[in-house]
Amino acid sequence: MTEAERDPILRRALDELRKLPPPDIGAMRRVVAAAAAARVTPFDGEPGVVSPRRGRSIRVWMAVGMAAASAFVGFALRGAWTATTSSAARTVVMVTDSTRSPLRPVVATETDAAPISHQFVFNSRSAHTISVVGDFNRWNPAKAAMVRSSDGELWSVTIPIAPGRHTYAFMIDDSLFTLDPTAPKARDPDLGADGSIVIVGRP
Amino acid sequence: MSSFPLQHPAQSASLDSRTISRAKLGDIDAFTAIVEAYHARCVRFARAMLRNPDDAEDMVQETFVRLYRALPRYEERQRFESWLFQILGNCCRTANTAFQRHASRTTQDDEAVERVPSLDDPTAQFDHEWSEAVKRALAEVPEYNREIFLLHYIEGFSYEEVERMTGVKQSALKMRVKRASDQLRSRLTEETR
Repeated sequence: MTEAERDPILRRALDELRKLPPPDIGAMRRVVAAAAAARVTPFDGEPGVVSPRRGRSIRVWMAVGMAAASAFVGFALRGAWTATTSSAARTVVMVTDSTRSPLRPVVATETDAAPISHQFVFNSRSAHTISVVGDFNRWNPAKAAMVRSSDGELWSVTIPIAPGRHTYAFMIDDSLFTLDPTAPKARDPDLGADGSIVIVGRP
Repeated sequence: MSSFPLQHPAQSASLDSRTISRAKLGDIDAFTAIVEAYHARCVRFARAMLRNPDDAEDMVQETFVRLYRALPRYEERQRFESWLFQILGNCCRTANTAFQRHASRTTQDDEAVERVPSLDDPTAQFDHEWSEAVKRALAEVPEYNREIFLLHYIEGFSYEEVERMTGVKQSALKMRVKRASDQLRSRLTEETR
């Protein structure tokens, strides 16, 4: 018998805490609608996405957004987004604008929100297929299949991605989820695991 | 280790692996079934973590949105509800941090007063007072102990599962649960004197 079972006060408290709230059909409908809206969103974090979230959520997003922006500025100032070109895999930003202020929001205008071509490269001689999967293509391996180079080792694909910070990985042979060995890593709160990070565009 | 009767309400919700597989493919009906099966448990957990019911509802919604977006990557060898509560725990911790920094909680008590039911019945009043006492006592338990306590004793996850979910070793988990239990008991003993 555990200590909790022996203690009547604690047992009563647990009974109280285990009471489930009554089903809230309206809240469940809002949840489903918000999820469906999020899944059809072209790009994560794109402004102007309408969801049935209640007004109070704005405060949450402002706080989370401020934290994310702070982290991003610190990350960018350290130059950590610069791709390494001498390693097995690398990512290359194809279009940039060096005249922008380093402290401008990532997505501030319609022009800033326009997708930017981004090349992903991965080295593997043994793989049969490789795809890039990320939040920008809803983690769908069919959306960004990489093409093997003539030497049989280098795989690459160039795809348009909305400016901002994105999480991605390589899917090898439709089964092996592999991080980019040369990119920064960050914990993906959805999966509870690490993902590779790419920052597209300039802050 | 624990022989305390753990509750697994979701296991009785007849959510089979086919439903999850369909939801992975984007089937909104299957996802709706998932929401129906787990929403109440998620709300219960979020309210205990966040105290404010509106904040809790926001975080539950945020959790299901994240879950739906990440479903294509879900690997079925992982227990589904462990994954769900892992996301929910992340959301609640992030929200607590953000609210502590930015939000004024001055309206919370006023809102709570409005929700108090009619207490003409002495039994109902007693139950309500006990419920409030438990909430107050739980709120005083540090967040890092409270989350583990809730996952183990209220949501019914074993220590092995909580270790996989949080990355915290079982010996440390047991200590946290014990500390939370001791604090809860001590506080409630004072209340009932």
